[in-house]
Amino acid sequence: MFLLKTIPALAAAALLATTLPAAAVGEHGQGGGAGKPGKASQVTRTIAVTMYDNYYEPEAITLKEGETVRFVITNKGALVHEFNIGTPEAHVAHAPEMQMMVDHGVLEPDRINRDMAKQMQASMGHGMHDAPNSVLLEPGGTGEIIWTFPEHAELEFACNVPGHYDAGMAGEITLSH
Amino acid sequence: MSYGTPARAALLAAGLGLAISSAAAAGTYDLTVDYVTIDTGDFTRTGIGYNGASTPPVLRFAEGEEVTINVTNNLDVDTSVHWHGLILPYRQDGVPKISYPGIRPGETFTYRFPIVQGGTYWFHSHSGFQEPDGAFGALILEPKAREKYRYDRDYVVQLTDAHPHRGDRIMRNLKMMPDYYNRQQRTLLDLIGDASEKGLGAALSDRADWGGMRMMPTDIEDLQGFTPLINGKGPEQNWTGLFEPGERIRLRFINSSAMTFFDIRIPGLKMTVVQADGNDVLPVPVDELRIAVAETYDVIVRPREDRAFTIFAESMGRTAFARGTLAPRAGMEAEVWELRAPPLLTMADMALDPAMAGMDHGAMMMEGDAASGHGAMMKDADLPPGAHRMPDGSIMGGPGEDPFYAAGSGVTPEPAMKHGRFLSYKDLKAADPLYPDREATREIELRLTGNMERYIWSINGVKYADAEPIRLQYGERVRFKFVNETMMTHPMHLHGMWTIIDNGTGERDPIKHTVSIAPGTVVYTETEVDAPGQWAFHCHLSYHAESGMFRKVIVEGGPTTDRAALAPASGG
Repeated sequence: MFLLKTIPALAAAALLATTLPAAAVGEHGQGGGAGKPGKASQVTRTIAVTMYDNYYEPEAITLKEGETVRFVITNKGALVHEFNIGTPEAHVAHAPEMQMMVDHGVLEPDRINRDMAKQMQASMGHGMHDAPNSVLLEPGGTGEIIWTFPEHAELEFACNVPGHYDAGMAGEITLSH
Repeated sequence: MSYGTPARAALLAAGLGLAISSAAAAGTYDLTVDYVTIDTGDFTRTGIGYNGASTPPVLRFAEGEEVTINVTNNLDVDTSVHWHGLILPYRQDGVPKISYPGIRPGETFTYRFPIVQGGTYWFHSHSGFQEPDGAFGALILEPKAREKYRYDRDYVVQLTDAHPHRGDRIMRNLKMMPDYYNRQQRTLLDLIGDASEKGLGAALSDRADWGGMRMMPTDIEDLQGFTPLINGKGPEQNWTGLFEPGERIRLRFINSSAMTFFDIRIPGLKMTVVQADGNDVLPVPVDELRIAVAETYDVIVRPREDRAFTIFAESMGRTAFARGTLAPRAGMEAEVWELRAPPLLTMADMALDPAMAGMDHGAMMMEGDAASGHGAMMKDADLPPGAHRMPDGSIMGGPGEDPFYAAGSGVTPEPAMKHGRFLSYKDLKAADPLYPDREATREIELRLTGNMERYIWSINGVKYADAEPIRLQYGERVRFKFVNETMMTHPMHLHGMWTIIDNGTGERDPIKHTVSIAPGTVVYTETEVDAPGQWAFHCHLSYHAESGMFRKVIVEGGPTTDRAALAPASGG
């Protein structure tokens, strides 16, 4: 299992627990109690998030625990960006997968190369696929996530395009009681 | 806004890295050039500094500002200040005999120019060996637009190779005996060792080749015996930058050395490179980077633990290291490592036949080949993170080899940490390309050449004193082909105009002011000729530039060229 070697043991265990049998690229760190996909009927509010190079507006988000939120995300930057909800550990664990997509030519600085994604899928048995806690957008793109937050969690929204998280493209999600 | 804030070790621009909103429309700054005492912890000597201090100053300007800088020369010889990497009118560039006559003892020269860019740069004297003697400082240009990265702390980390000898004495010694400062002479014992490894015949043949080149496998640093400094402090004096755990820190690495390349790492921290030579790049997380003389790299680090981290910068030839510390509290220290074993140049670095440069050196590979990581020899367990083996046995992904070094070269960077990622020029992608990508209008070949025996360094076999200027036409895009026929690495610096390194990324080819050319390689760069006037173009190793690896570039035509004024400036 090549993938597992690149992921810290705890996160790998979480991945295994939730994604057997195949450790697919792009599980996007759902382990760790980040919450779960929400239903449109439960949405209590909509938050617009704009992505720039390399930061978000707003830079931090405060929510109520257990709340279901619709995020409408727009990429106004010149680069590909991600909006991904997870624990800081999950973001760290997700980074090597994103690096692999860069190394395989799937993730170019300003576009997603879908032909290369198909090749990667064919040669490695795993590739890109949608995860409910994240959207990956080309410049000008928009996307939506409906997410139900847990009671307690240390969460961040972050961009795991290699280097972006490290450069500061992440914001805190505070859950109030 | 006036110069004088002791900004170097202080908390700067906290918050989001936003430009100062009240960007000054005009600022006046005063610099005096003085004899100062330099204390490295290993030795004390008289050197040259600014405003009476041996700690190099940090000047902070805002993009859009019109600066006025009064430079007063308190030395008993001429001086000058060159604003390294700044785009400005050529008469403000500060190179004696090219931009202006220089600044005489007791005189004040007033520079006036607009700041048209953002980023980390530096300044230094362009007169004699004043820069090796300490005459340099840092420039921070606050950009107008919001930066593409954020940080809570901002530190300049300016490196130099302080030498107990004055620059002019070093030049005399090198001229008299080129290996005067090479303390790693190979001995009879080394020859016996080589012979037992590859047979006496091969070892003797190697020896003969090296002798023919007047060089040795240890000629990676032709100036040794220096003490590396960070912000004016030696390894024992331990420059320290403070942080709170969890904060992001911007480190602005500047290599102001006369002769020394550094391999920098901060064990325990990833460094995310966000800027090279003042221009933003797409962020690249690395474990280690090599900074050539005159280059700058800005990185973001984020220490989350409540402990100290060592900034460890080994010289490329592994004869000395600079050391500083990032710590939550003053006085804390982290481990200081041993220098790694010195690398040896290989036959690949010799590139005896220029036609071989950049070609397959496999047949010539003698040392260091096992370490260069050829895929076929690599076990799967040794694959770096991100890499995996394809069905045909090739390796996809991962950092791979560095095309900016000759295959089998002894100076190819090797990360200290297993599977560590070492920054390569191929990783640099411009975040904001300054020019549309277009075909170059012509190519100029520049062979980097030298006669080590006489310590003459040259371009196309001709030293500066005997050379015609390079004439460029305003509006053209010139492609430079650098062919390094010497065994040393040369950081080439073109004044006044950008150097776009062709690293194969097309429109995102990185934009720099200094390009490092490793032995046995061919590197292409392109320059949009958009700055009228006359400019210096040279190897930034001080003793190479002085001994002839230097050219004057004249840009002909253009909207504001004062052609009549060109001749007198060049005559001085």
